Amino acid sequence: MAMASSKKNKAARKIGFYLGLIILLTISLFPFFIMLMTSFKSSKEAVATNPSFFPEDWTFQHYVDIFNPDIFPYLSYFKNSLIVALTAALLSVAIGIFGAYALSKLKFIGKTTINASFYTVYMLSGILLVVPLFKIISGLGLYDTKTALIITMIVQTLPTSIFMLKSYFDTIPEDLEEAAMIDGLNRVQIIFYIIIPLAISGIISVFVYSFMVAWNDYLFASIFLSDSANFTLPIGLNALFSTPDYIWGRMMAASLITALPVVGMYAISEHFIKGNLTEGGVKG
Amino acid sequence: MEKRGKSDLKLAVVLLFPSVFLVLLLVAYPMISNIKISFFDLPINPRLSATFVGLQNYTEILTDIEFLKSLGTTLLYMILAVAGSTALGLVVAIFFNRPFKFRKAARSLIILSYVTPSISLVFAWKYMFNNGYGVVNYLGVDVFHLFEKAPLWFDNPVSSFILVVLFAIWRYFPYAFISFLAILQTVDKSLYEAAEIDGASTWEKFKNVTIPAIMPVLITIITLRSIWLFYMFTDVYLLTNKVNIIGIYLYETAFAFNDLGKAASISVILFIILSIVIIASRKRVKLNGNG
Repeated sequence: MAMASSKKNKAARKIGFYLGLIILLTISLFPFFIMLMTSFKSSKEAVATNPSFFPEDWTFQHYVDIFNPDIFPYLSYFKNSLIVALTAALLSVAIGIFGAYALSKLKFIGKTTINASFYTVYMLSGILLVVPLFKIISGLGLYDTKTALIITMIVQTLPTSIFMLKSYFDTIPEDLEEAAMIDGLNRVQIIFYIIIPLAISGIISVFVYSFMVAWNDYLFASIFLSDSANFTLPIGLNALFSTPDYIWGRMMAASLITALPVVGMYAISEHFIKGNLTEGGVKG
Repeated sequence: MEKRGKSDLKLAVVLLFPSVFLVLLLVAYPMISNIKISFFDLPINPRLSATFVGLQNYTEILTDIEFLKSLGTTLLYMILAVAGSTALGLVVAIFFNRPFKFRKAARSLIILSYVTPSISLVFAWKYMFNNGYGVVNYLGVDVFHLFEKAPLWFDNPVSSFILVVLFAIWRYFPYAFISFLAILQTVDKSLYEAAEIDGASTWEKFKNVTIPAIMPVLITIITLRSIWLFYMFTDVYLLTNKVNIIGIYLYETAFAFNDLGKAASISVILFIILSIVIIASRKRVKLNGNG
């Protein structure tokens, strides 16, 4: 009797748990579901006053349209976003590796000060700097160039890159470096042959983070860019919102394709991240 | 080996130079030049000259009812969104803190809203909350009868405000969730077992075991999210033009009204507010590997 009721209880709790999980996932994923379904709906169906979850006649036209440059400059925006985000993320990681190594492994005067100032910069950024950055970029003759955006994105992501990389480098034991020095490697070789390979999964996460920030940026793109040939995805797509080119299904298709690179990268980096980065690095 | 004791200053200077140089040039110097610009009347057109106006920008801003309203809106937005996203993140993390089928997949799906770019999410939300054919009003009015009449989400300031708060909670709770889940998985199970033997209720276990264990992460999340939401711009700007938070107020002062001097003085005021928070939080905030 007691056995049966506790079994029942267990089953009920399990059902309750999975019900909760389903509700949670529904809330999290609902907008994505709507995006996906609307991207397959005809323009007329997308604005029906009694909306349906699934399209009545599936159409792939919106996906065809966004890749047609005569209809929609999506590919140009995408290319610009890719150039900016890839360049900024690569440089942010490269510069960050050297800085983080110094802060993690070297002993020198002023380390605490530099740490503290990076911490401050990490928290202060974005909107507070728009006026002077606009002046500086204009003064350097970089207004309306992708370079302006790339430089800004590197600086926006650098403090976080350094902090994240430093926390990965901190887990690499000193014995490894000492052993390498005995073998005659200098510090720079150590960075390339030991630190980078051991922290590679961390480096990938930092790259993905920086790429995401640059890919997502609307603020600086809207300040620095004026020629639509230079537009990145966020300003390019937002500029269409109030034009006759604005078709819901097409915008949803564009939104999904826009999300793909970051979601894909995130999924790949999730796969790489393992528990202890330096396991097996030093024999006990 | 004797290298160990010596200072590595030379190499450190070389390695840190690019980072420090960029930060000085594009963060420190701009911040100082904000202070300089804030004493001038500076038009956006570089051919027009700047005139020194002393503290006029500051007196105008601090007596401007719009600025004070905007500050109030921002604080309310920040408090509601921080509380909502942190609490929801914690609840979901506790919910996930047990082995079950598909846990890893479910975790990845929940993080989706956090990693997807704002621009993509905003279009979906604008469509879902559309007055005429939005699925939210359809479900809320025609299907579930939650409200009498569909709120015109984007047309009035109050419902627009609710919308941007909901958006922030929905978009940022996964960040709190990941951080809490990571710390919860390190909590020793025997602490809960011991509490259980002492006859502790679920609430007591939460209060006496969970809360102390997650405290450092809780403080970090609240501090960082508060700062980020305090100068939020993109999400709200793309979603609606009815919610005038401080980030938007600053942006429009500079690039819609072309008053760079006034915008710089707003930046300086915000900088002072944020600096106080940052200095106060420095000892307590642990930066870990999730920006």
